[in-house]
Amino acid sequence: MAVHEHAYKPYAGPLTPVWSRFLIIPRHAYRDVFASKLYTALFALCFVCPLVMAILIYLHHNLTAMAALSISLKDIVPINGFFFQFFVGTQTFFAFVLTVLMGPPLISRDLANNALPLYLCRPFSRAEYVIGKMSVLLILISAITWIPGELLFLFQSYLEGAGWAASNLWIAGAVFVGSWTWILLLAMLSVTISAWVKWRLAASAALFGLFIISNAIGFMVNGVLQTRWGGLFNLTFIMKTIEDSLFRAPNSAGLPSWMVLPTSAAWIMLALFLAFCLFLLTRRVRAYEVVR
Amino acid sequence: MENAINSSVEPLASVAILSEGSDEPAKLAEPVIHLDGLSVQFGGRPILKELRGELRGRAIGLLGPNGAGKTTLIHTLLGFHPPSSGTAHIFGRDIRKEAKPIRTQIGYLPERDSFIANMTCVHFVRLMAELSGLPSEAALERAHEALFYVGLGEARYRQLGTYSLGMKQLAKLAQAIVHGPRLIFLDEPTNGLDPPARQRMIELVRQIRDSGKAHILLSSHLLRDVEECCEEILIIKDGSIAVYCNLEEERRANRKFLELETRGDREAFVEAIGSLGCEYALTSERRLKLVLQNDVDIRDLYQLAGAHKVQIRRLNFKRDSLEDIFLKAMESGNGDGNRAAGMREGGK
Amino acid sequence: MTDKPDDHMIVFEDVSKFYGEILGVNRVTLAIEPGITSLVGPNGSGKTTLMNLMTGLIRPTRGRVSVLGLRPDHPEVFFSKVGYCSQFDSFPSALTGFQFIYSYLRVHGRPKKEAQELAWKALHRVDLLEAAHRKIAAYSKGMRQRVRFAQAIAHEPAVMILDEPLNGLDPMARAETIRLFRQLAEEGLHLIISSHILHEVNDMSDTVILLNNGYVVAEGAIQGVRDEMEEHPMQILIRCDRPGLLAARVFEQDSVVEAKIHKDKHGLFVKTRDADAFYLLLNTIVVQDGLNVESVAPADDDLNAVYQYLIGGGEGA
Repeated sequence: MAVHEHAYKPYAGPLTPVWSRFLIIPRHAYRDVFASKLYTALFALCFVCPLVMAILIYLHHNLTAMAALSISLKDIVPINGFFFQFFVGTQTFFAFVLTVLMGPPLISRDLANNALPLYLCRPFSRAEYVIGKMSVLLILISAITWIPGELLFLFQSYLEGAGWAASNLWIAGAVFVGSWTWILLLAMLSVTISAWVKWRLAASAALFGLFIISNAIGFMVNGVLQTRWGGLFNLTFIMKTIEDSLFRAPNSAGLPSWMVLPTSAAWIMLALFLAFCLFLLTRRVRAYEVVR
Repeated sequence: MENAINSSVEPLASVAILSEGSDEPAKLAEPVIHLDGLSVQFGGRPILKELRGELRGRAIGLLGPNGAGKTTLIHTLLGFHPPSSGTAHIFGRDIRKEAKPIRTQIGYLPERDSFIANMTCVHFVRLMAELSGLPSEAALERAHEALFYVGLGEARYRQLGTYSLGMKQLAKLAQAIVHGPRLIFLDEPTNGLDPPARQRMIELVRQIRDSGKAHILLSSHLLRDVEECCEEILIIKDGSIAVYCNLEEERRANRKFLELETRGDREAFVEAIGSLGCEYALTSERRLKLVLQNDVDIRDLYQLAGAHKVQIRRLNFKRDSLEDIFLKAMESGNGDGNRAAGMREGGK
Repeated sequence: MTDKPDDHMIVFEDVSKFYGEILGVNRVTLAIEPGITSLVGPNGSGKTTLMNLMTGLIRPTRGRVSVLGLRPDHPEVFFSKVGYCSQFDSFPSALTGFQFIYSYLRVHGRPKKEAQELAWKALHRVDLLEAAHRKIAAYSKGMRQRVRFAQAIAHEPAVMILDEPLNGLDPMARAETIRLFRQLAEEGLHLIISSHILHEVNDMSDTVILLNNGYVVAEGAIQGVRDEMEEHPMQILIRCDRPGLLAARVFEQDSVVEAKIHKDKHGLFVKTRDADAFYLLLNTIVVQDGLNVESVAPADDDLNAVYQYLIGGGEGA
């Protein structure tokens, strides 16, 4: 009979490519996320809107179907910039819900019990760690925003013809850039809040609160200083301004004209805000804390 | 009084370390850790001051009072903190320039609690293996192997948050070895463990050391643990090396001083020893120390014991225990001990 | 029950403590004298429960606890006599070392000036004077341990209950703290210390209490505990060059029960029921057979062995 000794053995096999290591984090996160029926159902729900929109596009080009439902062309919304802006707006709302649910535990779980040194004592940098964590949301939200959005665009172009596509190419661009600004904002916000706030509930509240409070601050500054630049502190307002400019629908919310801010200012504020979040992140994501 | 030994003797490690993938024949063993004037500062305050030395042993003990810089040294070697000047090499690679390749070959067991509460142990160790570069299936296999090796059975499917302290330490050890590193940093691995768990941990450390496939750097306040596992000792005080010492050498040297504990009529026995020409000193009611003369050996002592009907209940060669070495190092002034350990004096 | 006043002892009278269904300790009867008493046992064996019962933080489900004649029912008097140092490393993070101890003393009802003096005295005793005005969050692990200890002795209690007080201390601090313990013990205090480091317990304690699974499995003076275990023959390790030869010779004696060669083939473990006779036999064997003896030592004359016998290796994970 042979007795097998299990001694310490080094690993001699192949290693995975270095650039792809950050994807380990979203992969492992999704295993947990999609094990939960709640999240899977919610995620499925996010595809309702794209589905409805696809149906609308289809109906636009299918007279028989329209006749069958006894509606006429003018009843259905036109497929134009507004259509896609509405799409992006709705989907980013769902993205926000997903973020509130999935954002908080991203980094706080690791910080809660000091797991970060174990990540960083490996060939894995802080940057990869942060990008990996952000990718959890980046990938998911992409899947419900610009990816179906561009697919819808393609679908419409296919049905409407190349001419339409050529003259409306800016819409495809707008969907892409518009989605990505939201994606980056939400991902950055959630990892930053997750790194600083321990409790899940508090982190979710912080996410909501951020928008509400920034709204309030914006109005207060405007009121007190009798200016319009307070809007720059208002996150929702900044994002709206950016979306409006992308979709060539300035002031779509119909605010008084003096409140409207130049788009470049909005972009700059967004960039500054993201940079600030990054700064906060680097303070927390480290292998050990030095207290003087 | 200095206890630093300039180790120009061959390294103890019976393993010749080959550089990765090199075609060169096994050259003279490369140091595991080579400290080259390594200095580290925190906000202007110097923590490590120009450390120099070469460490080659299978198991290296790192000792020192709190605040001496042990943890900082480990953190710097791991790349958590950049050196302010100087550098160090691990397996020949510069920690400033090749941090990532180095970290592929390093495992780390941190002193503090380190885990993800709502993850199962297997998932956790597998995640860590993948982060070290192992492909997914290999990571799962090795995770189970590592958990089997450290002795975590069914418990591996439970969440880490439910683990007892001993099990958490074993989980930390598992993630430190899962990717088969060549150098494992263990920071207080027996912290808080009850006696049987402590013995298990020490036994595991010894097994890993004896496998010849990995080197260990053990940092601990429990001198017994270090004595039981390590051959080389590095004692750090105030950011400098106070002592570098090779325990095996210590044990082999010094065969003349004996300590005895006796029972029976001691007086006549002791007189007889004196008449053999050996110096002796009575340290307590039953204990004595003596110096063997050149022509006297232990058999002669036993003959006397037999003749006087005295039992020799305890007998051992007296050598500096690690505790003595440590206390001496703490009392002496610092700075001198910072001579190049493992390098010849005068000209490098 | 003894009728002498036990106002210099800590007494447990048939005490049990259950947390719902979970057992803390079961039917414990102890009378602890002044001096250093160590609590030894695996995690979960009831050490913390016992200590919490002594400090009055929990009440027994059954039985009676009295510390120096006082019952935990009168907390103001009780807590002025008892000092407790837990094993948990948490602090109000914004306080400095001095503030921590000072505020604790004030809660105890000491007037400001006295509280200040006592705080400084305690800090001096643990050698934390320079660091007293730094925030505790900035302390190293060893310093935090010391400040906790300082807080436990600041109000000059008569009983000190310390849960793993040497955790995280470097070897010199350990030696100094043990010296401090001995000093306090000589001043007449009760020190109840729980620890996992058996050789330290061996060196510093007067009595030891071994716990396992909520029961007291042994208690008494360190030396005595081993001697009482007669059914366990004494084990001796002899390191020499020819253990095999030695093994053959030792069986000449009836009282030798077992001889086992050490893994590294340079030593022999001998178990014998009659140690005296064995040692005398050893004298002749060494001379007659020219054995080269390297060392001789009892292999189980200490707490480690007792622990092994009574509590064993513990459960696998």
